[in-house]
Amino acid sequence: MSDPVVGLILLAVLFVFLAGGLWIALSLSAVAAVALAFFSNSSVGLNMAVTFWGHSHSWSLTALPLFILMGEILLRSRLSKDMFNGLAPWLGGLPGRLLHVNVLGCAIFAAVSGSSAATAATIGKMSIPELKSRGYPEGLILGTLAGSATLGLLIPPSIILIVYGVATEQSIARLFVAGLIPGALLVAMFGAYVAVVSWLNPDMIPVERSKLNLKEKLWEARGLIPVGLLIVGVIGAIYTGIASPTDAAALGVLLSILLAVLSGSFSRADFLDALLSAARTSCMIAFILLGAAFLAVAMGFTGLPRNLAAWIGGMGLSPYFLLFVLTIFFIVLGLFLDGISVVVLTTSIIMPMVMAVGIDPIWFGIYLVLVVEMSQITPPVGFNLFVIQGLTGIDILRIAKAAFPFFLLLVVAVVLITVFPGIVTYLPTAMNR
Amino acid sequence: DTWDMPTPYGDSTFHTQNIAQFAADIAEATDGALEITVHSGGSLFPHGEIRNVVRSGQVPIGEFFLSLLVNDDAAFGIDSQPFLATSYDDAARLWDAQRPVVTELLAEQGLMPLFSVPWPAQGLYTNGEVSSVEDLAGLRFRAYNAALEEFAALAGAAPVQVEAPDIPQAFATGQVEAMVTSPSTGANSTAWDFVTHYTAINAWVPKNIVVVNERAFRRLPDDVQAAVMDAAAAAQARGWEMSAAEADEKTAIMADNGMIIVEPSAELTAGLQEIGAQMLENWKSGASEAAMSILTAYQDQ
Amino acid sequence: MGHLLDRVYLGAAWIAAFTILAIALLISAQIFLNFSTRALSLPLPSTIPSYADFSGFMLAAATFLAMPYTFRSGGHIRVSLITARLMPRARLVCEIAALAGAAFLTGFAVYFIWVLVAESVHYGDVSNGTIPVPLWIPQSAMGVGMTLLCISAIHSLVETLLRGAPVIAASEEV
Ligand code: NA
Ligand code: NA
Repeated sequence: MSDPVVGLILLAVLFVFLAGGLWIALSLSAVAAVALAFFSNSSVGLNMAVTFWGHSHSWSLTALPLFILMGEILLRSRLSKDMFNGLAPWLGGLPGRLLHVNVLGCAIFAAVSGSSAATAATIGKMSIPELKSRGYPEGLILGTLAGSATLGLLIPPSIILIVYGVATEQSIARLFVAGLIPGALLVAMFGAYVAVVSWLNPDMIPVERSKLNLKEKLWEARGLIPVGLLIVGVIGAIYTGIASPTDAAALGVLLSILLAVLSGSFSRADFLDALLSAARTSCMIAFILLGAAFLAVAMGFTGLPRNLAAWIGGMGLSPYFLLFVLTIFFIVLGLFLDGISVVVLTTSIIMPMVMAVGIDPIWFGIYLVLVVEMSQITPPVGFNLFVIQGLTGIDILRIAKAAFPFFLLLVVAVVLITVFPGIVTYLPTAMNR
Repeated sequence: DTWDMPTPYGDSTFHTQNIAQFAADIAEATDGALEITVHSGGSLFPHGEIRNVVRSGQVPIGEFFLSLLVNDDAAFGIDSQPFLATSYDDAARLWDAQRPVVTELLAEQGLMPLFSVPWPAQGLYTNGEVSSVEDLAGLRFRAYNAALEEFAALAGAAPVQVEAPDIPQAFATGQVEAMVTSPSTGANSTAWDFVTHYTAINAWVPKNIVVVNERAFRRLPDDVQAAVMDAAAAAQARGWEMSAAEADEKTAIMADNGMIIVEPSAELTAGLQEIGAQMLENWKSGASEAAMSILTAYQDQ
Repeated sequence: MGHLLDRVYLGAAWIAAFTILAIALLISAQIFLNFSTRALSLPLPSTIPSYADFSGFMLAAATFLAMPYTFRSGGHIRVSLITARLMPRARLVCEIAALAGAAFLTGFAVYFIWVLVAESVHYGDVSNGTIPVPLWIPQSAMGVGMTLLCISAIHSLVETLLRGAPVIAASEEV
């Protein structure tokens, strides 16, 4: 059977399972099983067991439940409410007001965490209930959160850049540095989008408290101190080398417990609640990650992504046209596979053609992160959508609709770094001196 | 037939390039009767699972870092014993002694080794020159296995566990101040971003190994089996040459990027060898019969 | 019977929850050692051997042991926009099919996970870090969790058939 036919059959199977209400983790596993059973030389059962095992005990994944636990603790203490009260007078004058907390909160948290799922879970846990209760429109809350959480991948540390750096033997330090300006650019673009939409629809955005003088503003801002200490503590531990980025998640848990207890609003029952809730959320995300890993193994055996990439390579395109076609290719693969799988399944084929047309591999790494960020918010397989559905119970298709403008902003960012490659290459080149 | 072959390292690693050539040789020799699809960079299975998936027959063939299996039997890890075999000649003699024992141990798991190719010898990466073992005292030293922890302790350094992707950051923040690895890894991770000196202490010459599932191999027609064995022998010979060329090339790249390449002083060498001798004594006390037989055969040559 | 099973799922979830806490404490202990040996130069050992391995194994145990409780409480997510628009009768058929599919798939996984555990026992596989850990131990936690998930899927299927209405909590909209 030809590759396009196999691909279409597998897609149809995936859609039937998902539409029928089979759990997402199981739908991915089921499609993987079908692919292995009918379109590969390997067996189904053992590959499933080995993949579930091999991917469930990885060190880089350990940060995920810890960051989720941190979010649960902050939510149940007074700290997250105090933080919003402290920010409200300052952001109240900006178009979009507290919606900028989603963007900035994700950007700051992205400097601690390497994954967009952890970013969405931690920030969303605090911001969704707070923004909803203040009357902000659901679409913008969900959209800004889903979109901004993808910054977790671009702003260092970043798991995806590590995977890319290891697979292509590029300097991880340089890749991290290269992500800084594009990260700032995205923060600015997301913030500007929120401001423009709010300015055009002033009725949508609730009014924050009436004008305070500077003294009152500063007094309210004391609520920012505990969370500020937490962020400084965690980032400080990473950049002084006391803790690796993964270690830092554990430090975040301890510090948030300490601060929550000191704030005097955190009981033992709250703590136990937070623990059980963190176990439940991280179990949900990990199970989908395992299903996605199994699907990636099955795709590796069937060779579909590899053959598709090789087909593009055979067209002999010019650099700009190649990038255009690759972007379409990555967006399509990103609909169905998680971002890291897209990278590991295709770099073998993609890298030689990218190098052949003279594209800088560091630049390409950042480009890849941007397209992988898009895959996080496109249905049916988009991890930020899954995390937010887990937090809110709102169906992923509705969340995806809310996040669509941010998908388009990511496309614009790709165009910008293509036209002005210096956005990416300036800092790593400056490192060479 | 098409065989899927998982390998742990990326396409720009010479091991992977050697394996790609190995696959091409087989396809050509068998006129396409056996095609091997190489899944590089851990894209199919994580490194730690590759031995197991070949053993269970999920894939017929795979590559992994041989001393990864050191906890199964010390015989697998003898090539990572510091200062036992420090040149390619010694490493080749050690592999001659090791091969029959490893073959027997792997056969118990239904696996058959095809060929094994060394990494360039492991050197020392530091900020500032190290002219004697005393200079290592108190340094935070990257250790990723039991032997390196022991080495660090004997040298008076503080062992620190750092996973490979965290290396640049660990150096940048002072979490780690010294490490031992090959010029390949050093150049590929742009070590000049975080250290100044490379001392070619040639601590040990570890190897990757390519193994095949014995049942899958026996199922091949005789002429295809012969083609695989021929290609494996060629890959082994080619791989050792590639490794030596790689050592020179990658050391030159580090020099070009401003790192200071140092030959170890006599004092440093003597001190390191003393540590090596002490570690070998400790190793003997815990070594299996199989592992001891390798050491005896190697030292008797 | 059903009541007892739900208590087993919850018990497993509590073990998972405290395992996550244990990961946080283990890694924090390592950070404390980093800090005290580096910043304070205290004469302490500088590493907890294989702490990354142990954290990983505990993570796997936490993930799988929380599976049945997460499943029963509607924590595992799915696309519900399409089934929500069906007539109640058709929706029930979809629910039963999904539960039967879940029971079958998890049962399949359970069988092969125990095959994997048996293989690890047979070959005496150990982890490859500083401290060799027999792999069947952490793998068994995965097996137990997956087995309980399969039981909870069958349990939910039977309840749904008996009651003639879905029993898995639709995840709540906040
Ligand atoms: Na990040
Ligand atoms: Na997607």
